[in-house]
Amino acid sequence: MFETILKSVFSAGTFNQMLRSATPVALAALGGAMTEHAGIMNIGMDGMILMGAFFGVLGSYLFGSAAAGIAMVLLMGVIVGLFFALFVVKFRSDEFIIGTALNTFALGLTSFLSRSIFGTAGTKGNPALPTVHIPGLDAIPFLGTVLNDNSLFIYLTWLLVLAAWLFVYKTPYGFWLRASGEKPETLRTAGISPEKMKWLASILCGLLCGLAGAHLSLGQLQGTFAEDMANSRGYIAFACVIFSKANPAVAYAAALMFGFFDAIGLRLQDYISSDLTNTIPYIITIVMMVYVVVRSQRRKRHSSKRLPEMQT
Amino acid sequence: MKKRILALVLAAVMTVCLFPASALADDGLSVALVVADTFGDRSFYDSSREGVQRLLDDGVITTMNTIECGGDNHTAQMRNAADAADVVVCVGWEFYDIETVAPEYPDVKWIWIDNATSEPIENVLNITYAQNEGSFLAGYIAAAMSESGVVGAVGGEDADTINDFIVGYEQGAQYWAEAHETTIDVVHNYANTYTDPAVGKECALALNDQGADVIFQIASATGDGVFEAAAEKGFYAIGVDSDQKYINEDVIICSMKKEVGSSIYDAVSALASGDDSRWGTTWVADMSTGYIGIGYGEEGSVQQIPDELKESVADITEAIISGNIVVDTTR
Repeated sequence: MFETILKSVFSAGTFNQMLRSATPVALAALGGAMTEHAGIMNIGMDGMILMGAFFGVLGSYLFGSAAAGIAMVLLMGVIVGLFFALFVVKFRSDEFIIGTALNTFALGLTSFLSRSIFGTAGTKGNPALPTVHIPGLDAIPFLGTVLNDNSLFIYLTWLLVLAAWLFVYKTPYGFWLRASGEKPETLRTAGISPEKMKWLASILCGLLCGLAGAHLSLGQLQGTFAEDMANSRGYIAFACVIFSKANPAVAYAAALMFGFFDAIGLRLQDYISSDLTNTIPYIITIVMMVYVVVRSQRRKRHSSKRLPEMQT
Repeated sequence: MKKRILALVLAAVMTVCLFPASALADDGLSVALVVADTFGDRSFYDSSREGVQRLLDDGVITTMNTIECGGDNHTAQMRNAADAADVVVCVGWEFYDIETVAPEYPDVKWIWIDNATSEPIENVLNITYAQNEGSFLAGYIAAAMSESGVVGAVGGEDADTINDFIVGYEQGAQYWAEAHETTIDVVHNYANTYTDPAVGKECALALNDQGADVIFQIASATGDGVFEAAAEKGFYAIGVDSDQKYINEDVIICSMKKEVGSSIYDAVSALASGDDSRWGTTWVADMSTGYIGIGYGEEGSVQQIPDELKESVADITEAIISGNIVVDTTR
């Protein structure tokens, strides 16, 4: 009995699903990391993902190619990022309200456009992103089946995680980006506008969340859009951002963990109630947040031991 | 001064807007359709809308309002609907509060689809469906079409109505196995969402991992993902509520039809011609009345199910109607 559970829970399918489920969350979390570093609490990622999912399908439907869908997603990602920054950075509105508004707006807009263009039946079967076959990888027994023949964006995400990490920690732009969130006045003294960095962060976030949505509708699914298909992935991504202190690599690991528990939750339904397995992501979120609180309190204790003049 | 006039005019316009459409158009029935989630599922909710649309097209009713609750706010939306219409059709088992709201609007005729009030209410017609009977047939077909001896079902959530499908499905599959002196395994899981095809796909792939090669989707728009998984991995799927064959005729072998639209159409038509005898009761739309059955798609579509199997399905339909086969239910 126990052995069959282990076998079904730790099959190649589980890890395949882990990768697939983690990817949209991870892409959105990369975007969230940008705004987080710039000192913007971005609760609007869910709406950004939904926009990406819709416009990816729309582009693919209109121009008959997934590449056109991605181009449309990138365009819309920039527009959504600019829209977000306009209110949050330029007009200094409450970012929580704007984020919530963005989510509601995205749900309404995509549902409205989907029905106007595709009718209530929605759309599916539009040109989708290709899967990638890496020759020779199949030779590795278990790992080969898990890592090979996945949707393009699963591999792209690895590159983007690396790129985001390098950008944030190894380039001057990343340094300014972080400064714009932590010490904006210092950055201004150095002659660089923190507002500009916040605009940049918003645009990057719009782009990355758009790609997350595109992966959902064009990568994981075959050009299918369903209303409200983001299904709170943006909030899970937000949890990953907070947990990882906006470190792209850690955020990706956190997303993988969510994906993993999603996958085993589904497979554990044979043994425990689905109502319980359904709570797993939320329990993990709570555990993660407890960790975050404990971590920050420990840091406070440490810093209070230091001499006042040593404190920055 | 100008501003004040403008404000007055605007206020007047707003006041006029407050009057519901029904107060202005006096003749004929107005129907408000309130669905628990959103349209676009190509099955349950869309079927109800199609039924009301047909009422409007045929001139039985004069106005049609639709309200989508998007998963919450059910109670408030019921009141909004009742303010604007003579007949309110609530589609979804979630509208429990009809028990308190309906008596507040004694002049409004209510129809509750997919569930029933605990006590009969004078102005509420409950329509429930014998989905267990239709699912029995779906299970029978799935078992017959399966090569692996494992069939699956993806449910929207662990709720009574969904489980009613699953119970019938399992029984139908076992019925086939007994008749052919073999064994069949029925596996199922729940997506816990009705709007996320990506999750539906994962659910189907997980069942496919367990060997299921025919999978029944009972999850609204989430079920689109089941069809995609079927196309990708090359197994069969069974549609739900509407005849979904057209979505992908190569993998959807048949659909368990629950004619929500037709039942609404018939109930409201009866009301329009002055017959409100059904109100205050629970009407079980079942196989014998033709509201539950199996759809094989439109004429000319690709057929995977052999004619002999369709014949035995027809025989079992007769047996269920005559009561020779009693299908289990969760109700």
